[in-house]
Amino acid sequence: MCRDIREYLAKIEKELKGCDPALIQDALSDAEGHLRMALGEALLAKPSISETEAIAPIIEKYGHPEEIASAYRAIESRTSPALSVSRVKETGSSWARFFGVLAEPKAWGAFFYMLLSLVTGIVFGGWAIFAGIISLCTLVFIIGIPIVGLFLLSIRGIAFLEGRIVEALLGIRMPRRSLFLDTNLSWKEMFMAFIKESLTWKSLLYAALQFPLGLIYSFGIFLLFALSLSFIGSPVLELVFHLPLELFGPEAFTPVWLLPFVSIAGFFLLPLTFHLARWVGKVHGKYAKSMLVRA
Amino acid sequence: MAYTTDANKKFQKELNSGSASLVLLSILAHADEPMYGYRIAKIMEVNDESVPMMKQGALYPVLRSLESSGLLESHIDPSVSGPPRRYYKITKSGLETLKSWTKIWDQTKAFVDGILKGKTDV
Repeated sequence: MCRDIREYLAKIEKELKGCDPALIQDALSDAEGHLRMALGEALLAKPSISETEAIAPIIEKYGHPEEIASAYRAIESRTSPALSVSRVKETGSSWARFFGVLAEPKAWGAFFYMLLSLVTGIVFGGWAIFAGIISLCTLVFIIGIPIVGLFLLSIRGIAFLEGRIVEALLGIRMPRRSLFLDTNLSWKEMFMAFIKESLTWKSLLYAALQFPLGLIYSFGIFLLFALSLSFIGSPVLELVFHLPLELFGPEAFTPVWLLPFVSIAGFFLLPLTFHLARWVGKVHGKYAKSMLVRA
Repeated sequence: MAYTTDANKKFQKELNSGSASLVLLSILAHADEPMYGYRIAKIMEVNDESVPMMKQGALYPVLRSLESSGLLESHIDPSVSGPPRRYYKITKSGLETLKSWTKIWDQTKAFVDGILKGKTDV
């Protein structure tokens, strides 16, 4: 029998060993929120009983760790991230596989993630870098500690939000519940808990790195996408609208005999762009999971 | 005796796995306002004192599953007395699903009741 909430959570974590870390984080967050609410109510109704006495019937009603773990496992097997099963079957000729990427929702998800990272990179990264520096500077004053605490709390919020974007667009399972925040802790204890947890610092590093990464992703993918489309449409652009591609210098038109080849190159560059997006999405998803989910 | 207890538990578990979603949808359909997990668990506790239909902790993954299927929607609100709470509300699609599930439930119940009462007309 568990004597307190911490012990119970540790048992659930043990039972869920080997599962997706994001699932474990969700299960622990659900359990901690529920048990603390129930414990608060029980202690309010009977102030004379100890926490250990009060928690036993609460845990009994909530369920034994193995029962709860199996309930989460069962549901998880039926609830996969939005794009995780949408990958087109990799069958058929290599040509079909090469061009088939254009019909793959996962590749489009990664493509939009990379475009969106211009905004998220500037907002999240900008906030992590500039607000971080400002809050660090305030540490010389006594008011600095709560400001740093609030800043770290905002970083946790950003990490959760980014996790939701990663799951929606990259199809990687990320936490669906924000981390439980024990409001029974004093400000000082809460601050120390934030400082001690490696997830806080990894989230901060992730948010800061999103600034350069977001710029690289968005400009890179936009450039490749725009190049592909302009290559494909080069005969129309140059011959009908008289807009030079400038492949051979400023204001220079492409020789007419070369235009069909440029157009064909565009038809190959477009799926290549999406293969690249899918690969970047896969790598970035793994990186996001290692940085934003409690290990 | 041990076999009977285990068999009862197994039967209860199998029965619950299908009906939990129906019960949760129904609770939220009758609610005047969005509800959070703990409150839903309390409602179930009040209505099911003798043999609890399911452990309270098993509610949360079902709520999540219903949400990911689009039958529920949720939002987080801060609470004055504790941590922020996730409030669930039934969607239009959830109401339609509840209607058809209730129909299936009624048919199944009538069929099982009939057999249990010895109705074996051929």
